[in-house]
Amino acid sequence: MPQQLAVIVLVDVGNALESQTLNGNTYLFDNMKLQGSQNQGTGDLVTAINGSYWQDGSQASEQVLNWLPYSLGSIPPTVPRGYEAERARQTDEQALAELEDLAVKSSAAGVDAAAELNRIRQSAGRRVKTTRRTRGRLSGQKVLDVTGKVVSNGGTEAHSYPAPVITDIYGQAVDEKVIYPAEYGSPDLVTDGWYWSATVDTSRPGTYAYTMRIQLHRLVQQGGEPLWEPVNLTCESRIRVITEPKRNAFTKAGLGLLPIPPRPFS
Amino acid sequence: MNPKVNIVVVVDVIGALSDGTLRNGNLCMIDDGSLASTGQGTPELVTVVKPGQVVTWSALAVDLQTPVEIKSITFLGPDADGGHEAEQAPPAAQAPVPHGQDGHADERHNPELDVWSGVVPYLAPGVAHPYRLEVQMYEGEYSTLHIESPALMCL
Repeated sequence: MPQQLAVIVLVDVGNALESQTLNGNTYLFDNMKLQGSQNQGTGDLVTAINGSYWQDGSQASEQVLNWLPYSLGSIPPTVPRGYEAERARQTDEQALAELEDLAVKSSAAGVDAAAELNRIRQSAGRRVKTTRRTRGRLSGQKVLDVTGKVVSNGGTEAHSYPAPVITDIYGQAVDEKVIYPAEYGSPDLVTDGWYWSATVDTSRPGTYAYTMRIQLHRLVQQGGEPLWEPVNLTCESRIRVITEPKRNAFTKAGLGLLPIPPRPFS
Repeated sequence: MNPKVNIVVVVDVIGALSDGTLRNGNLCMIDDGSLASTGQGTPELVTVVKPGQVVTWSALAVDLQTPVEIKSITFLGPDADGGHEAEQAPPAAQAPVPHGQDGHADERHNPELDVWSGVVPYLAPGVAHPYRLEVQMYEGEYSTLHIESPALMCL
């Protein structure tokens, strides 16, 4: 059926960073299960691509593949785009209010100003350093956990990871000119404004492998400042292309008379 | 006279599956015939044709991301005069589907391969020949719906 084919690339970012591989840490799904895709929900998905051709051999339908990377253990991509910035601003405002409160209270006896300041510093969190390579949605924001709370020590506490980013699609299916992938701009905010898509030449049936280069981000401390460091890993998947001839639905062969039962004259 | 007539069936797949009907504005039909077809833009399209013309039906989805195909077109005989559309059998009463893996048919029929096209035979002029148009939206037991209101008519 003519619908766009979607491949979801779900990455367990924390474990992938720890084990330095996407093998065993990637779960692939597509919307072609009923059309013959195999191994849904595993790292070994084979996406079914069912093409068709006309009597003269020309391609009759166009199959389009889209890839969407999602992350396990992150703030969902469906929250509003400005969520991280908003949370950073809110925690700054809260810290200012608490500082004001402390300024009033600090003159009173029994208030440990140093301890209070330290607590405020912890709850305010720190902004992630921006470098040329990490400029983007998360630059200058704070490290949050999956519930949106500020994490003051990303080295020891659980924190949300930036969504994985596909940076290239290559390999056998591309080399043999079966798929033509490219990255496109999109108004869809879930994919952060970009997505990878490919048209498929269904005239050459077979199973073809392709590789996705996926960029993850690890939180590191550099000069006492937190920083998202890009980590590039790769993940392989396959497509299985078949193609079948179009045929007349009434005759199951060539063109014929419409099967209309006779009716009396009115 | 153009030797070909195209009939396009436009389906709001999400609306049709949500409502469980192709009525309520979930389906409309248009043809490009040069004769005086009536009911353009409605499910009651009566396409006026001449013997020898080739009629081709195709389905389009309002939302391009949703799948829809024509599952069958059956011309109704004189004794099958409409009226059955409202009695679309509930899924449980339909012919059993042979169950394979995941509860779906073992041998999948790909409706995308079907070309719904045929030559108009000699017909009694001025008589509408209604047909049952069944559309399939993705797969599974709730995926097909039909109407019996469109027709072909010779002048």
